[in-house]
Amino acid sequence: MASILREMGETAVTLAKGFSVTLRTLFRPTVTENYPDEPVRFEARYRGIHVLHRDESGLEKCVACFLCAAACPVQCIYIEADENTAERRISASERYAKVYNIDYSRCIFCGYCVEACPTDAITHGHGFELATYNIADMVYRKEQLLAQALKPPRT
Amino acid sequence: MGDEQKTVPLSVDGRSIEAPPGTLLIEACKSVGIEVPSFCYYPGLSLQAACRMCLVEIEKTPKLQTACTVIVQPGMVVRTSTPQVHAARKAMLEFLLTNHPLDCPVCDKGGECELQDMVFRYGAAESRFAEEKEHQPEQRFSSVVYFDYPRCILCFRCVRVCDEAMDVKALGVGQRGVRSTIIPNRPDGTLECEECGMCIDICPVGALTSHQYRYKTRPWEMKYVGTPCAHCGDGCKTTLNIRNNQILRGNNRDKTGINGEFLCIKGRYGGDFVHHPERLRQPLVRRHGRLEPATWEEGLDLVAHRLKEITVSAGPDRIGFLGSNRTTNEENYLLQRFARTVIGTNNIDHHRTADYAALVAALGGDTTAFAASGDLARTAAILLIGSDPTHNHPLLAYNIRAAGRLHDARLYVINAREIKLRRQADRFVQVPAGQEAAAVEALLGAAPDLPPDARQELDKVRAALEKESDVIVLFGAEMWGRGVKRLVEFGQKLAGKTRYIALGDYANSRGAADMGVLPDLLPGYGPLTDATLRKKWEQLWNSSLPATPGLNARQMFEPGRLRGLYVVGANPVKTFKLAHTRDGLGAPELLVVQELFLTETAQLADVVLPAASAYEKDGTLTNTCGELQRLRRPLEPVGARSDFEILRLLSYALGKPIPWRTPEAAFEEIRQQVPGYQVSLASLLVGEATRTAPGDGRHADKAAETSPGLIFSSDDSLFTSGTLGRFSEMLNSVPERKLPRSQL
Repeated sequence: MASILREMGETAVTLAKGFSVTLRTLFRPTVTENYPDEPVRFEARYRGIHVLHRDESGLEKCVACFLCAAACPVQCIYIEADENTAERRISASERYAKVYNIDYSRCIFCGYCVEACPTDAITHGHGFELATYNIADMVYRKEQLLAQALKPPRT
Repeated sequence: MGDEQKTVPLSVDGRSIEAPPGTLLIEACKSVGIEVPSFCYYPGLSLQAACRMCLVEIEKTPKLQTACTVIVQPGMVVRTSTPQVHAARKAMLEFLLTNHPLDCPVCDKGGECELQDMVFRYGAAESRFAEEKEHQPEQRFSSVVYFDYPRCILCFRCVRVCDEAMDVKALGVGQRGVRSTIIPNRPDGTLECEECGMCIDICPVGALTSHQYRYKTRPWEMKYVGTPCAHCGDGCKTTLNIRNNQILRGNNRDKTGINGEFLCIKGRYGGDFVHHPERLRQPLVRRHGRLEPATWEEGLDLVAHRLKEITVSAGPDRIGFLGSNRTTNEENYLLQRFARTVIGTNNIDHHRTADYAALVAALGGDTTAFAASGDLARTAAILLIGSDPTHNHPLLAYNIRAAGRLHDARLYVINAREIKLRRQADRFVQVPAGQEAAAVEALLGAAPDLPPDARQELDKVRAALEKESDVIVLFGAEMWGRGVKRLVEFGQKLAGKTRYIALGDYANSRGAADMGVLPDLLPGYGPLTDATLRKKWEQLWNSSLPATPGLNARQMFEPGRLRGLYVVGANPVKTFKLAHTRDGLGAPELLVVQELFLTETAQLADVVLPAASAYEKDGTLTNTCGELQRLRRPLEPVGARSDFEILRLLSYALGKPIPWRTPEAAFEEIRQQVPGYQVSLASLLVGEATRTAPGDGRHADKAAETSPGLIFSSDDSLFTSGTLGRFSEMLNSVPERKLPRSQL
């Protein structure tokens, strides 16, 4: 008899403990992301798909120094450099990246490229939706990585 | 060597070392592995002591001394690694960086910059100078050279290499003190020079950069392949910098190879012909009077079918082969075997740019009388007859200048033109054009028909040469046949040792002659008429050889001589100055051309087979001095096939297969069978230049006399290189190309 009473008491305590967690959490802010129905929120330093930035005048910040490619531990960055001309100015410096590809089937999002960049041209963005049926689509070209110009580049 | 000099003992960083008397302290330190940093000191150039990076502590001298100007003394006690020295180095770097823009991310030198390396190693990355840096826009000195004033650290290496090593004197120093700057020689701020690019390569920073490499890539992104240059006959090793199967530039910073760090514009930037849009990528076959693209099967079957047809109906001697002086030894060897055994004719020749056969015959088997390019630096005297090495043999000209400058060698020049090397000559004799052979007669003591002042000068040259202990004789295409024989007779009369270099124009002129691409000589210059010799080759190739000498290059183009003409890597319409029609080539009914581009000759052909360039195939080349080097196949051909593969496939199509699968197999036979080519495989494989010395002496008396008109130089300038040069963007871009030669 005594054992039955003790069991009932313990069950009540356990239930109370459990439901107290439920009750407490019921009034806390929710952490579940309703992806894809609602937009996903990120911490500021989340390392997602890279962004190639432009300066205040809309010119590309990248000068094709290749340091990101050199720092990259998986060699996923491919660059071809070229020279700016007076008629066609792409970056503020003498040289610019004619081709800038990142192969996201290789990228490990370590952020070394961002650290290596002497002109702050490349940072991690918050993009993460890389899934695709075609592996060739994992190679992102400069046009896909480049930030939108705030205003059209001066020419 | 009994007169070996005593060495000087001294102490560096507590180590007892020894150095030959007269050694500079910086070199003595380097020889035992103690690094003393420097910018302005450069081996082989005059001393500058401008950069002050090499300061070291020497006991009993009150201040730090520049190691690049101090000569080792007995008992000297030197310290290269004290706090005072470190502080001095750091301070010097800080000064150098006062106006250096530190635009390393943009600068083409980034990654291979001596200043960058020094700052990493010795500190001074943080500057105490707050003053604004003086900026000046970059200057375009020429279509090759760019100059960025703020990056310059005023070591004056470029000025000295241009003046001393190149004898061009195109760069100078303008202004004084901190305002000093490098200035080019034309008043409008541009360069007029040989465009060799030595200044660009020697620049320790990114002040001088090249157009071709400009903002293309980074040093660590490229593949480096050291391979013999495809252009002239000197056989410089050029290290091609390659990215994505594309040559971006050439240089030779590791100083290996016969040329050390020297390269001319062709070796450095002239490799771009490979990527010319007009390169042939697929076979062309003439249909309804027009050349149209075809498959390799169609092209090869057609050639085989027509060759067979002519052989059967008119006999093998109605087919002729014109070889190349650009293709490899293996390809030349295969071509002459193809002509002699598969077709069965001795009608095989090439554009001969030097009479190597006459030299080998005249030497009568003396294989020690061939000089290599490096020997020029260690000889007492040099006799140069004809040719213009500055234009046709830039490396040999560089070595000749170095011989005089660094080793006090005497130079005697006999030439019809006022060539640039006369400036280094102790005696320069100008003879009327075409009278070079007469000048040799005068040297031999005869009294030929020459102007009296030339004859007087020649007497003085002879008197001077008779006193020399060691002479190297260089001669161009002006000397051939009997002229070469008489020249060797003169050389043998001299008291000292005499060695020879015949100056041929292209990358493998010597190889073509050595491999027997000649109508009357077998590989190794053995005469065809020698029955025992013929038998040797017949047994080796398991086929009979035609015994009568064939048609030479001139005879092949005589009307009606040939029904089929097979041209490999040559453009006879241009080189032999023929009419640009089939009749000009002697109206053959079949014309086959293996070539990189649609040349004048290829335009007339029935079948054009696209060939791979020297940068796209395996094999070996022999330079004009007889030094053998291996090609390293830096690139993969696109669409084209090597001449070796084409000829091999044809031999199968004709039903008489030549079994060598690779050029290596052919080379193994060359190494065993061709006299003078018994070289060490090890040195060849590691990329060294190995000397060959053809001629075993048994056939000296039987060697054929050269007919007139066969030996002639194509007389390229520094900026042309036969067919290849016409398709090099860089060579075409330099304005000096249009200047008269004498102005350079």
